[in-house]
Amino acid sequence: MSESVKRSIWVYHLNTGGCNACDIEVLDALTPWFDAERFGVKLVPSPRQADVILLTGPVTIEALPKVVNAIEAMPRPRYIIALGSCGVGGGIWHDTYSTIGGVRELLKVLEARGVKVDGVYYVPGCPVRPESILYAVALFKGLVEKKVKSEVAYSE
Amino acid sequence: MPGVEEYVRLAQERGGKWVAHGDTVHLVVDPSDLRPIADKIFNEYGASFRTCVGTDERPLNNHFSITHLFTDDRSGLYIALKSYLDPENPVAPSIADVVPAADWCELEAWDMLGIRFEGRRLERLVLPYWWPEGVHPLRKEFDYKSRPDVSLARSERVALRKEVGTVPLGPYHPALHEPEYFELYVKGERVVDVRYRGFHVHRGIEKLAESRMNYQQVNFLAERICGICGFEHSTCYALAVEKAAGVDVPERAQFIRSIVLEVERLHSHLLLLGVAFHLLGYDAGFMHMWRVRERTMVLAEMLTGSRKTYGINLVGGVRRDINEEKKSKVLSELGGLVKDFKRVVEIAVSAPNVKRRLTGTGILPKEDARRLGVEGPVARASGIDKDARRDLPYAAYKYASFRVPVYTEGDNMARVLVRVEEVFESVSIIEQLLDKLPKGPIMAEKVEIPPGRVGVQVVEAPRGGDIHYVLTGDGRPYRWRVRAPTYANIPALKVMLRDQRLADAPITIASIDPCFSCTDRVVVVRDDGVVERLEVGASW
Amino acid sequence: MVRVLKPVELIVVASEKGRVTVKYPYQEPLVTSDFRGAIRIDASKCIGCGACVKACPPNALELLESPDRLVIRYFVGRCIFCWRCVDVCPVKAVVGTREFELATDRVEDLFNYTVHRRAECRECGSGFATRRMVEYVTEKSAVSEYYANECPECRKAKVLKAAARRRGGV
Repeated sequence: MSESVKRSIWVYHLNTGGCNACDIEVLDALTPWFDAERFGVKLVPSPRQADVILLTGPVTIEALPKVVNAIEAMPRPRYIIALGSCGVGGGIWHDTYSTIGGVRELLKVLEARGVKVDGVYYVPGCPVRPESILYAVALFKGLVEKKVKSEVAYSE
Repeated sequence: MPGVEEYVRLAQERGGKWVAHGDTVHLVVDPSDLRPIADKIFNEYGASFRTCVGTDERPLNNHFSITHLFTDDRSGLYIALKSYLDPENPVAPSIADVVPAADWCELEAWDMLGIRFEGRRLERLVLPYWWPEGVHPLRKEFDYKSRPDVSLARSERVALRKEVGTVPLGPYHPALHEPEYFELYVKGERVVDVRYRGFHVHRGIEKLAESRMNYQQVNFLAERICGICGFEHSTCYALAVEKAAGVDVPERAQFIRSIVLEVERLHSHLLLLGVAFHLLGYDAGFMHMWRVRERTMVLAEMLTGSRKTYGINLVGGVRRDINEEKKSKVLSELGGLVKDFKRVVEIAVSAPNVKRRLTGTGILPKEDARRLGVEGPVARASGIDKDARRDLPYAAYKYASFRVPVYTEGDNMARVLVRVEEVFESVSIIEQLLDKLPKGPIMAEKVEIPPGRVGVQVVEAPRGGDIHYVLTGDGRPYRWRVRAPTYANIPALKVMLRDQRLADAPITIASIDPCFSCTDRVVVVRDDGVVERLEVGASW
Repeated sequence: MVRVLKPVELIVVASEKGRVTVKYPYQEPLVTSDFRGAIRIDASKCIGCGACVKACPPNALELLESPDRLVIRYFVGRCIFCWRCVDVCPVKAVVGTREFELATDRVEDLFNYTVHRRAECRECGSGFATRRMVEYVTEKSAVSEYYANECPECRKAKVLKAAARRRGGV
């Protein structure tokens, strides 16, 4: 990961059709109790200034062209942090007609268009707690260790 | 004051059928009688129009149907005015000219079910503009999983009007909330017209509920309609199903629902007040409001297990109980919260920049408010005294006494003050209900849901009346219709924004608390006023 | 004059309240003991009946089937943390935890698998229910092990055959 990005992360918040809960928690992470600015996180008003996109929501087909447009407008290196069960896995509506089912499907669309994304972080939660967002930011900056790993358990 | 007889007579006079069941009057009439009857109910009897529901009943009785839902807030009655339509060519007369509030839901019925309305212009509302003609997702033959292949190509489209200046608002913006797109047409600093393109968040919820889910799973789906007032939706759904099936829900469960609903109202109102101050450039007020709000989030987590999307509702009761320890914790926390809030809000509202920019901006006159059928704090700030908690009591609200604040100014300040007063009322309701919390189980012993029953329920969400209509089916709802309050409030923005200064637009939009606020541009506007967007093509 | 100075009072409020910021991740988070976090499936208890899969609203729990294996896949990235699976599990194998630090840079980290072996039918040798499920059924009910080790198809065929013998045709 590029050191220049790590130091102070400028994020652009992109709701792709989520229910708003994660979006409120993103804002909550910036208010006094959690204060993500401790880590140099700053919300910016345009994707042109952003290092990281905080992506919430399952990417609806109506929002898809606008989402692609916004990600294309970002300078390289560009990172995506997918928030919430919708952003990561499409959530409760992962297979309906009007969503494409989260960031993994979005990455395929981006790849088909030749838009490069330098890294993707996945943050589960429904909605994500502000602490989860802080943890993800700390993980991004290398301040904490990753805790989850895939487990295969045999019943016998 | 019209009662059941008056409403029944409307159908009898014209040879229609009727059933009065509990607090709901069902009228079934010929399509040609829809307009005169709706006119009489809305304009003469003064009932509020809530929404209309189109249903594909072809597998049941080989007809489409359209149901207009009204509530009479004085006598506490629900009126469902239904008409069966031709299965091949479903056509209904439009009632949008006599009931302007029906404008959007008729368009939605056209989009989702292909029901044609005579006497009005039909256009796309919910589905994207490139969605293929003749494919209507809520028809039963449509598979909820079928997705169009979307192809994206860059092209240029001139979307902006030449004669006036255009300011695009959205769909993406710096601070928060959902993607919604407004185009404001301005002359100098004055807004002359507004065009709205929303429904970026259409996720196919109603179709999903009638295709994949079962009755209990839909509670969790309903909760995710909105991340701020989700519990209102799941309560509303559960109450509607319980009403349809005649499930006997324990009192204690109803009390817990009411208490959690009020905790949700607290967090929602504090959130909006904070955002309003932020939009006015008063960030100190914003930060302090959110500092106070965090205590309600901890309260919610303690009572339900999650900060939001509480997940404690099931059809027939609730999943988490409130014990004595939690009860005393809630009471002590609320005491501190109310003191803190009072102090901060008094200071914030008296700040000169806040006061000047809220007073006299974004005025919605009472007549327009009634005509457009606005809901909640927006209606109450324009002098319409309606609150479903008092008028159509549900859950445990009949055991609490509270005041409904009403202002007549109709400006942004009135909408903010209504919410400030409601915060104090909510705290008092929680205290009263905790005090009276009865003993007993929290889940009904038997939950049996026979098919073919109808339940209609209104719940007063922080943003206004939220209505759910359920037609029960086999193992899952046959048709589930949701109408959130913002759906009724957004058309009123046209009135509020016109002839206002452009700088006041964000706060006016935020004052209806639509889950949309700040301003930003993602469409690339070039010097010559041409908008560059991605062109979308779809194939199946 | 007092009215003009009213907004300044916010400084007093701020100094009285002091600093409220929780210094997470260098300090314990604000999580209460009632919080619903990720779930864990105890493979030593799980019988692979699929009740949790059926109750899961977002299909975060899925049943993957092969002729000799039956796998319950838990995708944390789609979980809505409702704990319905915890409610419906007949053997209390699904446990709720307080875990919320689930962020990762590889989506593969978010999948958990519980693998069961299928029981082999005594007659035709094909796999049907899991072995644990057969054990559970014979333990809890009056069905003898002799019958439980048959797949539903073979059982059906046998019943028909028996009926045919008794009545002289079905």
